[in-house]
Amino acid sequence: MAVGRRDDRAGPDVLRRVGEASVLLLISLAGGPKHGYALIRDIKELAGVELGPGTLYGALDRLERLGLIESLPADDRRHPYRITAPGAAALRVHLDSLERLSAAGRLRLQLGGT
Amino acid sequence: MDEPRAIRLVETVLRCYPARWRLRHGDEAAELAALLIRDGTPAGSIAWSYLAGAAREWLTPRPGRRLRTVACALLVAACSLGVSAGLLAPAAPARAASPGRARASAPCRPGPPAPVPGVIPAMGHPQVISWEARHGRSC
Repeated sequence: MAVGRRDDRAGPDVLRRVGEASVLLLISLAGGPKHGYALIRDIKELAGVELGPGTLYGALDRLERLGLIESLPADDRRHPYRITAPGAAALRVHLDSLERLSAAGRLRLQLGGT
Repeated sequence: MDEPRAIRLVETVLRCYPARWRLRHGDEAAELAALLIRDGTPAGSIAWSYLAGAAREWLTPRPGRRLRTVACALLVAACSLGVSAGLLAPAAPARAASPGRARASAPCRPGPPAPVPGVIPAMGHPQVISWEARHGRSC
């Protein structure tokens, strides 16, 4: 098996290199549109990760550039964000890949008797 | 830190972002910081996160910023070369001059060793023998 290559049966995993914050944001937005503060609170409840506001906006910009999320018209000063159809597809591919990896890891733990 | 001061600190840090970013996220980012401070998040950690975000924002290559980035990189390289050259320049002549000066002030004198101060004769032999005294020369 070549290092750095992987089996992309369900399409390329574009989220593989975007970082954990971006994946957490997509998971949070998969539950419905949210603005920055709601995203930070939701991710803290969901994953126990306190996302810094600087990290938040960097990740949101990156996801928007990739077309995985879109910004909705601002209400007051807040911009809500929504996951796009390509974003939902990319998240599904990424989660499937994590699931396969997790299953393989558990199987090896059982076989190794660790 | 009281709330108005914390918000002022965050607003100062937000000015580090590029204008394009401030135009898009500036108001929202300030409001988000205020909400987080009200929730009890330390202002220092919010400011630090925004500062790191600003650095990332400036360092992330953008198509329109490529020329400016190259120009900045060249400027930084030129400055660092200038600083290095400036630091080395005064040291080199000083290094070159010092042995000459030492030679001029202490010429080589062949012959018997000069009396070495600090040598205490005991039982006819000096207890402390310096290199010069042992080799019969002073350079």
